[in-house]
Amino acid sequence: MDRDHAFAELIHEYIAECLPLAEGVTEALLEIERQWRDGHRDAGELGALKGRLHTLKGNSAMMGLRPMQAVAHALEDLCARLVADPVARSDEAAALLIEGGGLLSDLIRAARESDDGTAAEVYVARVRAAVDAHPASPEPALRLERRRTERRTPSDAGGTIRVDFRQLDTLLEIFGEAMIEQSGLPDVHRRLRAILGQCDELAEFDRVIGSVSATMKRLEGALMQTRLLPISTVFGRYARMVRDVARDQRKPVRMVTEGGDTLLDKTILDRLGEPLVHLLTNAVVHGLELEADRRRLGKLAEGTLTLRASTVADRAVVIVADDGRGLDTARIHTKALALGMDVRSDAADDLHQLIFVPGFSTADQVTELAGRGVGLDAAAAAIHALGGSIEVRSVAGEGTAFVLSLPLTLAIVRSLIVEVDNERFAVPLSHVAETSRVRTAAMHEVGGRGVLMWRGSAVSVADGGTLLGTTARPGPRDYCVVLFAGARQRGLLVDRLIGHQDVVVKGLDPALGRPHLVSGTTILGDGRVACILDAAGVVAREAA
Amino acid sequence: MSLPLRAPGPLAFVDALASQTAAAPEPPAAPLLHLIAFQLDREEYGVPVSSVREVSRVAEITRVPQAPEHIRGVMNLRGRILPVLELRTRLGHPPLVAPGPKARVVVAEVHGRVLGLLVDAVAQVLKIPSDRVVPPPDDARSIEADYLTGVARLDGRLIILLDLERMLQAGPVPHA
Repeated sequence: MDRDHAFAELIHEYIAECLPLAEGVTEALLEIERQWRDGHRDAGELGALKGRLHTLKGNSAMMGLRPMQAVAHALEDLCARLVADPVARSDEAAALLIEGGGLLSDLIRAARESDDGTAAEVYVARVRAAVDAHPASPEPALRLERRRTERRTPSDAGGTIRVDFRQLDTLLEIFGEAMIEQSGLPDVHRRLRAILGQCDELAEFDRVIGSVSATMKRLEGALMQTRLLPISTVFGRYARMVRDVARDQRKPVRMVTEGGDTLLDKTILDRLGEPLVHLLTNAVVHGLELEADRRRLGKLAEGTLTLRASTVADRAVVIVADDGRGLDTARIHTKALALGMDVRSDAADDLHQLIFVPGFSTADQVTELAGRGVGLDAAAAAIHALGGSIEVRSVAGEGTAFVLSLPLTLAIVRSLIVEVDNERFAVPLSHVAETSRVRTAAMHEVGGRGVLMWRGSAVSVADGGTLLGTTARPGPRDYCVVLFAGARQRGLLVDRLIGHQDVVVKGLDPALGRPHLVSGTTILGDGRVACILDAAGVVAREAA
Repeated sequence: MSLPLRAPGPLAFVDALASQTAAAPEPPAAPLLHLIAFQLDREEYGVPVSSVREVSRVAEITRVPQAPEHIRGVMNLRGRILPVLELRTRLGHPPLVAPGPKARVVVAEVHGRVLGLLVDAVAQVLKIPSDRVVPPPDDARSIEADYLTGVARLDGRLIILLDLERMLQAGPVPHA
């Protein structure tokens, strides 16, 4: 096969794959326009279209078809803009989207004959004008998008330095602590106002708090940007591993990776490694059938494993899919009942999610026959700890797909996890002076309050349950955590110390008000949400 | 569960699954209100479909110390922290210790704010001709009246339409 012929073959394949995709995009856009005309101006499927546009862009880039690449990219940007900004969802914007979809289809259809980029250039310029017409909204998704496009041309500005990544980790740690300390400022303001009443100085203080908070946000954005890496840096590693496992299992496997330019925080990439290795290994060992079985079923002898990454709004979606035998719904159901699980729904899709429940995939051989091996709960816990989620979609005989949704960036605080009346809380370690077993000997009562002798001075002690509202009646507690903030300390009585953990800080939604005892929330390994205690609030509060 | 659409290929079956759940019949010419109807005790309430992102099962809800009244806590919704409103007490129904097996969280979005509404059960998606909606009766309990846009009668049922916008904007009662 000579080179021209090979290229013609490739173009043929490109058109065969991309034309239906582009036409599907236009169809979806028409539907969105119809909904908007009916007054439902929500983002709808717009966010979901990004995956397809991304594939179109990637495939076009691979073939060197710049006009198609540019149009797909412009459509991606426009979609992101419209997802982020409800105000921009005008009829004109819908028309511009549909025009772009049509143009993309036309260009792809004519890919063999022409590579004239004039129409694409004009269109891209119009999209840029439309996207820039509205002032940037403070939506983080859009800012991330911009960052991504800016990063595509790293070599145009002078000066790149190599930095040990641990230094960036240290920066992030310090930043996390600063965030938590800063979150105590409004409380100080509130207390000052209670003493001083309204005055100009306090108004000025309030303004400063506001601008510090805005600056911290910008600092966070800049800091996060230094930590982003394309997921392709780890994809290669998985491809090699899959090849080795496949050879070991004597199963011919084709691995397809897509969306390698998706950017993720390096820490997320690092911690994603283990669960992904687990999912991929499982897919080869348990998901894909033996070659002979595949032939008998009329499937391609070679199994396909897909690893696909894409950015949807402010999340990265990573899909691990195989075209193997799929999960055995009936077996999962039987096993769930045998384990005495609360099976609320016998819909296949709901039953499939049970494979992530701790203990489900470890007890015996059944899950292996059902299409998956052991330890999926561990993989799920690792994803949860990153602030992510995992779901499984499967069709018997057709395959299984694991869908991971992950945050793009992280803010991590090393914390002590404690338990009070079966509720868990995270205490930032930077504010923990000491933990100890409660010995009645060391506890004193002074004026009706618990006092603990700590390093030669008396520290007041509060019952965790009473302070945090987990119970009305304080019971005996086994442990005491001494927290400090500034020069003040306070002991907090808790039932159990669970352990140290790096927790990913999530902000407090405005709907939660301004609780002084809580600075944020985090998702623990079991998927449950825990509140992060604000040490300043805990030590400042008078004994409850 | 809402998942992103995927390109055809090895995952085509996932798309097929997704499309099975997304039925979209053609609306008739008359203006219809598309509502998601749900229950609190024996009363039926409705909110516009357009402001509902999804209806989720009730995952473990974590209480937040010092949270405002009517906030039940926060829930992990696929890695996002979702504040969950105790709709029962907000609308004057007695509180429940634990949500029942049919309970759902209606994930509502109004002006970019996302909030979960804990309801006893989700009935269905309704299309109600807008002329069937009448203003709330005068004897509506005052605790609710602020959050009602009207009442719709449909085949002998009475559906109370909630003003989500006002409900979400009313925001938290600052903690004392």
